[in-house]
Amino acid sequence: MSEHVFQDASPQAPSGGFEPPKTSRRSRRLLNSLPAALAAVLVAVAPLAGQIPALRARADSLLMQWREAQQFADLQDSLRLGRERGGRDTIRVGALVFLVNRSPLPLREAAATAWPQIERFYGPAAQAFAQRPFLIQAVDPDTNEDVPPGRAIKILWNTEVAPLARALVAMADLGPLDPALHDWLGGVVVPRFDSGPGHAAVYIQLVTAPSQAAQRCYRGDRAACRDALSLSAMTDPASQWYGPAERRALVLTQYGDFLRRTSHGLAVRSCEQGSDESCLELLRSLGTLIPPLDYQARLTFLETAVRVGGAETFQRFLAAPAGPMGGRLAAAARVSEDSLIAQWRTDVLAARPTPVSLPVLGAWVALGWIVVFGTCGLRSSRWRVS
Amino acid sequence: MFRVVLYGQWKWSRIVVILGSVAGFALPILSVQGATSDPQRAMKAGELLSVIRSWGVLYPVLAAAIGLLIAIATWTPDHRGRHVLALSLPLPRWRYVLLRFTAGLVLLVPTMLGVLAGALLASATATLPPGLETYPVALAIRFALALAVAYAVFFAISAGTTRTAGIILGLIGTVIVVQVVASTAGIELDLTSPVQAVVMNWPGPLAIFTGRWMLIDV
Repeated sequence: MSEHVFQDASPQAPSGGFEPPKTSRRSRRLLNSLPAALAAVLVAVAPLAGQIPALRARADSLLMQWREAQQFADLQDSLRLGRERGGRDTIRVGALVFLVNRSPLPLREAAATAWPQIERFYGPAAQAFAQRPFLIQAVDPDTNEDVPPGRAIKILWNTEVAPLARALVAMADLGPLDPALHDWLGGVVVPRFDSGPGHAAVYIQLVTAPSQAAQRCYRGDRAACRDALSLSAMTDPASQWYGPAERRALVLTQYGDFLRRTSHGLAVRSCEQGSDESCLELLRSLGTLIPPLDYQARLTFLETAVRVGGAETFQRFLAAPAGPMGGRLAAAARVSEDSLIAQWRTDVLAARPTPVSLPVLGAWVALGWIVVFGTCGLRSSRWRVS
Repeated sequence: MFRVVLYGQWKWSRIVVILGSVAGFALPILSVQGATSDPQRAMKAGELLSVIRSWGVLYPVLAAAIGLLIAIATWTPDHRGRHVLALSLPLPRWRYVLLRFTAGLVLLVPTMLGVLAGALLASATATLPPGLETYPVALAIRFALALAVAYAVFFAISAGTTRTAGIILGLIGTVIVVQVVASTAGIELDLTSPVQAVVMNWPGPLAIFTGRWMLIDV
């Protein structure tokens, strides 16, 4: 299926007028000696000149054979692709529908593992998957052939059930049913509840994000959490997310090069010299800013809402009228927005990562190894008399 | 007897012990230079963690280096004297080696205390952004264990004969050669990864060296 395009490798003259550069004395001397050099080359290759037609004929013949081979390869590819597309099975597990080529991929078993989790998260809304079949291309892991292009999700057919089930859960995204949710989240909805590592990552973000909103949220300010997660209407993210020093750092480190290239050099200099007005203006002119808490934080907030509100939360959320995301999620979870934020913050703080990565038994294990190696020293063969 | 052996080893390894203690004391203090109340020099939480992480690489390196040098210094007098003194003593061999091993362990203590003192001082003087905390005792315990493991490993190697060292090196070389030959022949054989996993992951002997060494963390 690959297209081979031959291109003339010779350098192209510029399309505009070409003006020869002024030559120096040395280059003029070189140019003067060029005819002599050319004559020498011609004398050297003169015996080959008679063979040129024969060589050209052989090259043409080779090219013809290559083209024929290419046609056969293309035909073979298209036959294989047609066979793969035609021979798909339909597998249904719950509301999940998979169109998959025949292979040893344990899709049914994996889907049986994934479906309860997906249904627990989306509730009745999960029935929407019946109208959204997954097109899956199981790929032979022991081949170097190119995977045929297309919309099908490619999975190696020796993938085991557990990782395949996790992949199916990650693919079960109903975010596109609600474009506002999709935009707010900035990624796919992953229907999962056991996101301990996810909460731990958000904990680190809360502590380390260079944003006053995130830091105030960490200290317990719910309004700041609302801003940091963009749960309310964000009229001015530059001032809602960041303080003066953070704005200046943002302008100079994240956007400095871009702003200088787009003729904002004076304003950047003014911001650098301490004018917060200039920093604000520059950040506002960008339109979109890097949010202090990323996709992971928003996904954990959605997860908290679904956990608090129960199985029908997502269904209620899809039915809720448009508006700020915090209000919609809180209404779907049937709690106040403040309660939902407080619950999310509690979940995140509870997932504080282990600071020193020494397991509980680590010290004993290390002491054991000290004894083992010490004993090896005692038992060494030096001085042994045979 | 132990005091004599200890004194002998101290004479051979005092420079290493002193330098190790100074380095161990200085390392935590140098690593927290960004944790200050001076607004001009104070680092944000993210930057500070990044700097602490970078400095953290030096703790296992220091532990391995000091462990190696002390282990070598432990056996140097015997190697120099061709073990004549050791063989002339009215002691069983195992007891003599145990005295050497214990004396070497005692000589590791100043470096361990140096790290603990440095970490405690650095923690006391650091001004941290909200959400960050110091872990001087946990870090010092981990360093002490890593130092002792490194010392024990190199002590065992130094105590062995050239033949033993040759066998160990030969085994490592065989694994590498087999891996290279298998890779060249296109055979799916991965020997190094399982060996690495056994040695470097818990409860492997060198697992204590891996992971993050953070004096300051969330």
